[in-house]
Amino acid sequence: MNCVAVREELPEFAVGVLATRDRVAVERHLQWCSGCRKEAAELGEAAATFALALAPAPLPDDLGERVVARIHEAAGKPGSRRRLRTAAAVAVAAMVAVAGLGWGAVMAGRAERFAERAAQAERQRAAALEQFQGVLRILPFQAAATETHLGQLAPTLALGRGGGAVLQLVSPTQLDFVIVIVNGLPRNPALRPFRIALRNDAGREIGAGTIAELDADGGAEVFRQFVNTDLTGFTTVLVRDVSGQVVLEGTIDQRSSPA
Amino acid sequence: MNGRTEGPLFAREEQQLVEGLLAGNEDAVRTLYARFARPIFTMGLRLLGSAEAAEELTQDVFLTAWRKAARFDSARGRLSTWLMTIAHNLAVDRLRRETGVTRPTLVLVDEVPEVAGASEEEPLIERDAAIRALESLSRAERTLLARAYFGGLTAREIAEADGIPLGTVKTRLRTALIKVRRANQGKERP
Repeated sequence: MNCVAVREELPEFAVGVLATRDRVAVERHLQWCSGCRKEAAELGEAAATFALALAPAPLPDDLGERVVARIHEAAGKPGSRRRLRTAAAVAVAAMVAVAGLGWGAVMAGRAERFAERAAQAERQRAAALEQFQGVLRILPFQAAATETHLGQLAPTLALGRGGGAVLQLVSPTQLDFVIVIVNGLPRNPALRPFRIALRNDAGREIGAGTIAELDADGGAEVFRQFVNTDLTGFTTVLVRDVSGQVVLEGTIDQRSSPA
Repeated sequence: MNGRTEGPLFAREEQQLVEGLLAGNEDAVRTLYARFARPIFTMGLRLLGSAEAAEELTQDVFLTAWRKAARFDSARGRLSTWLMTIAHNLAVDRLRRETGVTRPTLVLVDEVPEVAGASEEEPLIERDAAIRALESLSRAERTLLARAYFGGLTAREIAEADGIPLGTVKTRLRTALIKVRRANQGKERP
């Protein structure tokens, strides 16, 4: 689908009436086309305005408590592993928001402007690292000795779509961990589970997680904590489908850190 | 954590609220609920037709927002838009699943939001601005948007029902949305 075709569909996309097949095609285009994405966001905002104008109905008395309880249950108890995971995901959320890492034009593989976009991505990454420091303070394992590294995942030719971002914390004294966020992967069940591996220069690989389910955007978050493994040197990130084919690949820059 | 439940939010405040939601922060959840639960619940009532279904939708919207919070970017759009889009998608998906058809059931055209009567006993933060934005539309344009947004009619279905060309319907939909967008641009968040 090219930009002209997509823009013709955007009004119906904004009001949610596109057939599933067309909606998926539009969403795929929006993953890499910032111009159409901007227009989609603006039309979507206009459509949401329509809903916000409805005369509001009174809320059931206890609904708020039920919402809080469900989020509380999903996020996990304070101090639990699940809460640790969500806290880490907050940090990644900030990274993605600030840096625009992941599914931008850099990943579209448009060679003609790649150098310019790569330079832009590098500037964004540097800004993300700087702003990352504040967010990292909420992490319970944050310590002065911990180094924080970021990376991007790009699609290989085998798949040609999707992207992702990686956060890695490496500490000589505390637990290391890695978080991988992916998006735009095909939802074809025959390709799952996807497996994530970290590789060092010697070719040694260690598993960083498995993706068994994808959300409607073809996205997922994976978190893994390493108790006895030092992640220093494990800078290559590989996402493989069930057949072992690498579908996303990226490199973590361990030379710089905000810590 | 910003816990304000009144007044417009800065982009940074919206980002902080979503980060709080992602972390399971109770204050953030309560603030989001106080600001956005009513329009979400209202949309559920209109689209799904029962309080029970609307309650389930409201819970599902906040849970989905929690799951997707890592992908919210305040630089790309407003929090209210993001949540209402989640709500609309979930409601439409539910209707399609339950009815086995590709679009939700129609609501009455009389339920199109009116531009008058903004005063409520408990005014919503976003609603007055939304109503002012819709003042830029004619009655026919509001009806057209309602048939698509609340009724789930595609442009082709509207064109066939009204006996007008498909391209005309698409153009009118786009024009109506752009009018609202421009009206919104005059009331951007701080």
